[in-house]
Amino acid sequence: MRRVFAIAFKDLRSTYRNIPALAMMLAAPLALSALLGFAFGGSSGYSVAATKVAVVNLDTAPAQGSQTPAAGAAIVDILQSPDLKDLLTVSEKASAQAARTSVDDGEDVVAVIIPEDLSSAIFGIDAAAPQTAAVELYQNPTQGIGDAIVQSVVGQSLLAFNGARAAAVAAQGVATANGDADGAGTAAQKAAAAFVHRSEGSSRTLAVASRAPDLRGGRAAKQVGITGLVLAGMMIFFMFFGASNVARTILTEERDGTLPRLFTTPATRSSILGGKFTSTFLTVLVQAVIIIVCGRLFFGIDWGALDAVALLILVAAAVAASLGLFVISLVRTPAQAGAIGAGVYLVLALLGGNFTGTAQSGTTYATVQRFTPNGWLLVGWNEILRGGGIGDIVRALLIPLAFAVVFFAVAVWRFRKRFA
Amino acid sequence: MSIVEVRDLKKQYDPPKGVVAVDGVSFAIAEGEIFSLLGPNGAGKSTTISMLSCLLRPSGGDATIAGHSVTSDAQAVKALIGVVPQDIALYPDMSARENLVFWGRMYGLSGAELHRRVDEVLELITLTDRQKDRVEKYSGGMKRRVNIGVALLHKPKVLYLDEPTVGIDPQSRRSILDGILALRDQGMTILYTTHYMAEAQELSDRVGIVDRGRMIATGTHEELVKTIGEEAHVELRVDHGLEAMVERWRGVAGVTDASLNEEHAVLLVHDADQVLPRLFEAAAAAGSRITEINVTEPNLEMVFLHLTGRALRE
Repeated sequence: MRRVFAIAFKDLRSTYRNIPALAMMLAAPLALSALLGFAFGGSSGYSVAATKVAVVNLDTAPAQGSQTPAAGAAIVDILQSPDLKDLLTVSEKASAQAARTSVDDGEDVVAVIIPEDLSSAIFGIDAAAPQTAAVELYQNPTQGIGDAIVQSVVGQSLLAFNGARAAAVAAQGVATANGDADGAGTAAQKAAAAFVHRSEGSSRTLAVASRAPDLRGGRAAKQVGITGLVLAGMMIFFMFFGASNVARTILTEERDGTLPRLFTTPATRSSILGGKFTSTFLTVLVQAVIIIVCGRLFFGIDWGALDAVALLILVAAAVAASLGLFVISLVRTPAQAGAIGAGVYLVLALLGGNFTGTAQSGTTYATVQRFTPNGWLLVGWNEILRGGGIGDIVRALLIPLAFAVVFFAVAVWRFRKRFA
Repeated sequence: MSIVEVRDLKKQYDPPKGVVAVDGVSFAIAEGEIFSLLGPNGAGKSTTISMLSCLLRPSGGDATIAGHSVTSDAQAVKALIGVVPQDIALYPDMSARENLVFWGRMYGLSGAELHRRVDEVLELITLTDRQKDRVEKYSGGMKRRVNIGVALLHKPKVLYLDEPTVGIDPQSRRSILDGILALRDQGMTILYTTHYMAEAQELSDRVGIVDRGRMIATGTHEELVKTIGEEAHVELRVDHGLEAMVERWRGVAGVTDASLNEEHAVLLVHDADQVLPRLFEAAAAAGSRITEINVTEPNLEMVFLHLTGRALRE
């Protein structure tokens, strides 16, 4: 065991004297996570920047005394309602051209142009001569989320008005059938107005509420910040690279002659390999701890229950170390290790969801994720970031550990053959 | 009594059709002796050392170090030997002291004994003042000294040195050779490989000449030289009348053979110290003046040439 620890200590010392490697292992994941967290609105949950909307209402106002609402004004009111103020920033323009120009110039994302005949098209209830009108949405095609929201709001509003029109037509028909042809128009207007006013309540419930499923035991899940999820994914990804740097020393020592020299000493092959695994494991373990602490201090990430966090870090370190040795056992030179290792880790990270930190469920991608050890580790991180405990991450601990055992066993077998 | 016994050692890479690097080498080394394996590059010297270091498994034969077989008792052998590889095998980002401490641990040393032994070795290799500097900052000669020092930490019974003076300056080489002689004087048994005849001649109690994987001769320097006779090789040039001088010199006492080789006369002579003045006298008597003379005493290079038909360094 003394020789194992001597080899591990020697490698650890070399690793921590290698400043570029340290930067890669520690600074890179923190910096990337900070950038991604900033891009997605910080650590306090998902947030989407408010979409800038230009609206111009050309609708002809109904006659004074009429009971039918001004459809155009209603749509403007809905867009400007307090419920939507976090999603939409609305400015009224004087003309359709001005609205379109503001989109072309990048000042607004989408322009809502309400035609002048909207109200008459909706509430003009001459069944013999039906009118149609279209609300134009002039939008910036590169902004996917914002204009979709506006489209949804305007669409819902128009649905409500179409419902009102249907109510008005029905009321007119009833009045006419009852012999009150003169009162049919008034009845229709009243029915339409009543429908619109009834709908107003539901049209205000356009807020988007997100809720995570409850944890086991019925405990409510806590809101998860994007930065925490991303940093968890980045941490695992860079642990793989950190482990590969240390594991690669087997090849550099073979090339430089120190490994053959080790074989001429009483140190056994098992102790040499054990020392390499130990140094790799400890290196990435320290790396993970530093990232966890920095995440807490600089990004305010609440990682969750300490015992669960500790276990997850230990398992992640075991996976990274054994995977590193496994990859090294497949190649011949340090250059090959760099190229092939990078490819392996990148593919695993893409398949496992490391770059978004999300552990999906119910999709084909989620199935693919579960075939990677890092995918399971992310499942675990998602659970404990949402407030879960050890009981919630048992599979997320055991399955990656099984991967680690297999990787290590194959690495040992290949090294025994190679250095017989 | 032999502390190292090598019996019909063989190594073939990728049998059955692969290269036979060592083809039945046998020799023995007495305790406290310096034994050199002399041969050109590719002769099998390093492969032989690798097998005796338990780094390579022999394809055939066996060797014992103090009675322990390299094939069946490798761990015991490794505890008895110190190996100085041909290339520097140190950790460049560690200091000399850190290197020695690490390798000492690999040899089973620990605690105060380890640190005391490291201090002794640093003094032996005269690097006490630079012990805390990283090896990557050392000169080639200094690295070589640390490379040797590592193998001495555990006071091995047998020290293997695989061409330790390749590529270093004459001063460092001298220092290393003196150090090796001092170790021999302290009773260490040394197996030394080289392709430099002068080193083998100077250092060795006995020499084994290897070529193409085979041991072609073993013995002391004197025994090996005797196999080709004791004649010195003399080359001369004169200002005129070289052909006639060759005939004259053929008749001088002590000259066993005289021939003409382009612009040189080549003579084989017994006891060059006695014969050279006679050669000058003969030239003066003939009215010629010797303008160039080159005397080569019998040496291992000539032995190698005699045995293989090739020069030691081609």
